[in-house]
Amino acid sequence: MICRPSQGRKKVTATKTTILLLLSVVFLFGFTDPALAQKKFSRSFPAGTGVRMQLMNRSGTVTVVGWNRNEISIVAMLEAPAANIVPQQSEGKIDINLVRDNQGRGEVGNVNFTIRVPYNATVDIETKIGNLSVTSVMGEFVRAHIGLEGDITLTNIGAANVAADNVTGDIFFDGDVKEGGSYRFTSMKGNISIRIPFSSSFKFVATAPSTRDISMGPFADASMNSLGSGRRIVGKFRDGAATLSVTNQRGSIRFIQR
Amino acid sequence: MNCEECSQLISVYLDGELEETTAINLRAHLAACTDCAKLCEDFAAILDACNTEDGAETVPPNSQALWCRINNLIESEIKPEAPPVVEEPRHRIWQLSFAQLAAGFLGIAVISSLLTIVGIKNYNRPDTDDFTSRSSSSQTTFEKVMSRLGLMETPQQARDRRIKEQQAAIEYWNTRVQVRRAQWDRNMREAFDRNLNEIDQAVTEYQVILQQDPQDDLSGEMLDSALTEKMNLLREFSDL
Repeated sequence: MICRPSQGRKKVTATKTTILLLLSVVFLFGFTDPALAQKKFSRSFPAGTGVRMQLMNRSGTVTVVGWNRNEISIVAMLEAPAANIVPQQSEGKIDINLVRDNQGRGEVGNVNFTIRVPYNATVDIETKIGNLSVTSVMGEFVRAHIGLEGDITLTNIGAANVAADNVTGDIFFDGDVKEGGSYRFTSMKGNISIRIPFSSSFKFVATAPSTRDISMGPFADASMNSLGSGRRIVGKFRDGAATLSVTNQRGSIRFIQR
Repeated sequence: MNCEECSQLISVYLDGELEETTAINLRAHLAACTDCAKLCEDFAAILDACNTEDGAETVPPNSQALWCRINNLIESEIKPEAPPVVEEPRHRIWQLSFAQLAAGFLGIAVISSLLTIVGIKNYNRPDTDDFTSRSSSSQTTFEKVMSRLGLMETPQQARDRRIKEQQAAIEYWNTRVQVRRAQWDRNMREAFDRNLNEIDQAVTEYQVILQQDPQDDLSGEMLDSALTEKMNLLREFSDL
């Protein structure tokens, strides 16, 4: 068999072309996939007892977890175009405000925060779009606010004052109901679930005017009153030591035993 | 001598004080002019009447005795007046007529009543949030009476007023949002519109219910809540 030189040259050229094409594809993906274009922000702050962590995000998720250290650790993954993050520390307070820090900028990419705070910290977090999650925090209060849409998940919460609200999205609360405490959950459209110990003592107002889908579960007893043809249930469980207010304009409300 | 000169000299002539030459001329004119002669006669008659004295008419026979009698008569008929008391201005203020006193008491009563009504009204008025969500069925008798008198808003009036205020605020913040939203990215704009639409649907739902049943407390409360939610959302996004 005779091997012609022109055929060998063609093979080499084809191989080179394939490799170049593959490299181009990898290169292009590397620049267009936001995951690969992310930046990382990481800072730690010493924190005393009852420190307040305040965060206002524009868009992206926020996860706050309590830990057994007198320190606040902030890690943020920034999608392009990367937002400015300028934490401000004052006495007993760490404040991050991405709305303020990026005022006047056009497009700003999502920023996904993971924050660790001491167990006894006070947490006040907001975002316009994205999920919020707070776990194992027992400070003075926990507030989670979503301007537009996203789920709020509060797990293992021991704060005496809790407020969570969004327009669209689910709200889940799992924690203790402290004597004299105040718990307020508000949504326009989504499902609100309250998971609390059966030993809890509280008075409550639960309103779901559109769906009338209110389930008190094991907390239903004879002292409860149904108002407005089932659109609202008011009552007291045990001594009524705490106050629960749950409003879901176009969604359901569920009470679950912890 | 003419008549004018003559008339001016008649009085002096009759007094005998005119010069002889002038008096001769005057007499000659009086002899020739009947008018001036008549005037001279009239003057002479007046002077004669003035110079005639009638003592019986002008002076009493014993004028001194007469004045003493008059004086005695006056003193005997008129009682001596009490010395005038100088009143202090303060006493004069309290000297009011019955009509003035009655008007004063009436004025005080009216002012007190109005103050009491206003006080009770303010004391009994619930918070705005509560009041806007109440129906007339939950009004107290006092509130119903006050509403009929026009001294207190009915729950419907309060709700309408509150809705107007909220809609004015919504309009204001919406104008500001429209200026800002061009700077948002597409995802944010779409999410904003989607969620605002959810709130608007709830608002419409409650408005329909309230049109059918204006007494529905719960829908009134939820409408108020949804409008507040919308207002807060617009305000929050007005500086994004």
